[in-house]
Amino acid sequence: MRIKELIKNDAGFQYIIDSLDLQSAAGRRGMLNTEFCNDPATLETEWNRLSEAIRATNDIPNRRYYIDLRHCLMCLHDLSGTFASLASHTPLNEVELFEIKNLCYTSKAAATAIEGLALTPTLPMPDCSAVFAILDPDHTGIANFYIYDSYDIRLAPLRRELNALQTSGGDPMRISELLAEQAEIQNEVCLRLSDELYPWVDTLVNTLNQMAYADGLLARAKLAIEWNLVRPAIGDVTRYKNLFNPRLKQRNEEMHMRYQPVSIEIRPGVCLVTGANMAGKTVLLKSIGTAQMMAQCGMYVPAEEATVHLVQGVATSIGDDQDEMNGLSSYASEIIKISNILADCRQRELLVLIDEPARTTNPVEGKALVQAIIKILEQSPSFTLITTHYGQLGSTCRRLRVKGFVEDLDNIPLTPQSINRFIDYSLTEDQSDNVPHEALRIAAILNCDSEMIALAEKSLQTT
Amino acid sequence: MPFIPEILRHRSLSIVGLEKNTGKTVCLNYILNRLNQIGTHVGVTSIGVDGEQVDAVFATAKPEITLFRGTHFITSEKHYLIRQAVSKLVAVDSQRTSLGPLVTAEVLIQGKVLLSGAATTAVLKRQIQTFDRLGVDLSIVDGALSRLSLASPTVTEAMILATGAAVSANVKQLISKTKHLYQFIMLDEVEEPLRSTLGNIESGIWAVDSEGQIHDLGITSVFLIDRSEKDILRYGHTLFAAGAISDRLLKILAAKGKDITLIARDFTKIFVTPEVYTEYTRRGNRLMVLQRSKLIAITLNPTSPQGFLLDSRSTCDALSDALQTPVYDVKKIDQ
Repeated sequence: MRIKELIKNDAGFQYIIDSLDLQSAAGRRGMLNTEFCNDPATLETEWNRLSEAIRATNDIPNRRYYIDLRHCLMCLHDLSGTFASLASHTPLNEVELFEIKNLCYTSKAAATAIEGLALTPTLPMPDCSAVFAILDPDHTGIANFYIYDSYDIRLAPLRRELNALQTSGGDPMRISELLAEQAEIQNEVCLRLSDELYPWVDTLVNTLNQMAYADGLLARAKLAIEWNLVRPAIGDVTRYKNLFNPRLKQRNEEMHMRYQPVSIEIRPGVCLVTGANMAGKTVLLKSIGTAQMMAQCGMYVPAEEATVHLVQGVATSIGDDQDEMNGLSSYASEIIKISNILADCRQRELLVLIDEPARTTNPVEGKALVQAIIKILEQSPSFTLITTHYGQLGSTCRRLRVKGFVEDLDNIPLTPQSINRFIDYSLTEDQSDNVPHEALRIAAILNCDSEMIALAEKSLQTT
Repeated sequence: MPFIPEILRHRSLSIVGLEKNTGKTVCLNYILNRLNQIGTHVGVTSIGVDGEQVDAVFATAKPEITLFRGTHFITSEKHYLIRQAVSKLVAVDSQRTSLGPLVTAEVLIQGKVLLSGAATTAVLKRQIQTFDRLGVDLSIVDGALSRLSLASPTVTEAMILATGAAVSANVKQLISKTKHLYQFIMLDEVEEPLRSTLGNIESGIWAVDSEGQIHDLGITSVFLIDRSEKDILRYGHTLFAAGAISDRLLKILAAKGKDITLIARDFTKIFVTPEVYTEYTRRGNRLMVLQRSKLIAITLNPTSPQGFLLDSRSTCDALSDALQTPVYDVKKIDQ
């Protein structure tokens, strides 16, 4: 699975990818084509490179190499269309030849900058000097291009005459003849140059891909620095110390609100997460999903310390997928999604994140469905987190409870905006099969209709 | 050599036509020719692809301009490949147009070139910066009909307005239509610090009170202005519209009161018909701008596309009198 598919996932990975400061369209294409990887060796190499890129980004004495490299990447154009033409023997025009020359020039400058940054392992850049030489017959060494006189002996005398006629306002007929003749020769040269470049198409494609990779690498490094991301270790269980959700953290900081990171250990098997409404259960699932994707796409993760167990995929059912256009209710689209996850996890080891399954149907059948889902997932090799408000599920699986509202709230004036200061988002192991009953209390804190709350309380007392 | 010394005082110039066939190209060729003689390093580009002058599919029929050795120019790939000048490519922009990417080149042997360019002023500004980096003394933007925006003082420092028989074969009409645009070009500027304060606002309609404080009137679009329940003059009679100023807005204001000063960003944001503007000002209201364009000259093309020919001398004089600005016949300018 590639990043371009992962960003469609409801864990919020799109935000991470959109936050990467990529310099070029080719860099973005390269990033979106990055595979979700579960090979430890490959990922360690990726993280080594990233660690080096972070060092280089922070390397003030060698700042100019970094700036040079960024500049090269900024000049990078996506030439995949041109390369496709070249590979299929379609003659290139002057502009396309210029673009190739420019790529050779830029990649050489990039290679020099990379050398200056002394990355280990280094980022090998294919040698395009032979291609550059083809497009630089006068050995100017610069990235300008036209059909130089030296490409064809007929050009110089023709252009001399053309110049004389143009500057003296000479015979327009003769000028037209010369222009037509020149166009003919230029076409021949373009055809010949395209043939000469044909054997180099793979080198050129590699060069473009390496440049795109460098763009992605620098962008990942910049993000790791700006967001204070950490390099994960690989382990048998997944463990985060102070995991945070970058998007929410930034939003809270912008609004001068507190953000509380959460520590968690995720073991094989199923773990139920309970807690009051607004206690951050959905955010927790999204943060975990996002962090797993970041790690396995070669990025650092949003936590203070992290060990990640590599999985074959991340399967999520978070949020409301109600789709009136498909004629699917919230329940229908959710249960289809969960059913697909269950089919998938019988085959592969996944990280499964399910937010409040069967919450939109009646509680009797809903609870039965949750029990069934837990049973199936317990038999799979997957790592599963399920949030729920259903108690008495009768399962012996592990439970984590969000601590939730701090005590003594009753005398503090609360607003929906300030409420998060009084929630403890941290998790605690929970042995009981019960869930917190705080829905009415929260409704009261949120200043909801008092008659509704009073009637509900009354109804609870009578049952 | 009319208005050339005046042009050289600026770093960028736009040439805007009031109508098609008003002689923009003749005017541009005149300027390029003269600047070549005195050795000015020029960069030339155009805005957009003018739908009425060039067919985006066949890329034909747009008047060609002659570029001299050493001139830098920006055009689309498609137009570049059919140029008659011999030139070398120095850059290709990542921005694509319907005619391919925009390319920057330097002329080696003079010849005719078709210009096409950016569709947005943002890209145009970037291109002028490209010219600056290449050491160009003066960037010239060839205008296209229906794209006055390039003449915005935020894009080019100075402008030339081309008018002519194509606007109207009736001299009275021609003068009145030219004068209508001219009066917006010549609107007074507001002073500092108000100018800077308002300059940072990107949208909406704002009021300026007697203390010089600004207030958002909460009107996101001119189309919603008559739905606004509160009096738009509650803070005072000075208003600023960050976006376009339309007939509708002026009509509403004219109905609301007198002595209103409405501030536009610059003249390119004003889309008002003569009748509505007359009615608006008759009540003692006025328009101002944050930034005024530097109008260098008005040129006249006495020939209409239908072949009708105005008397050059008397039309130029009549326009000149009416506008109190020099007016040049493009066909005679070079003589």
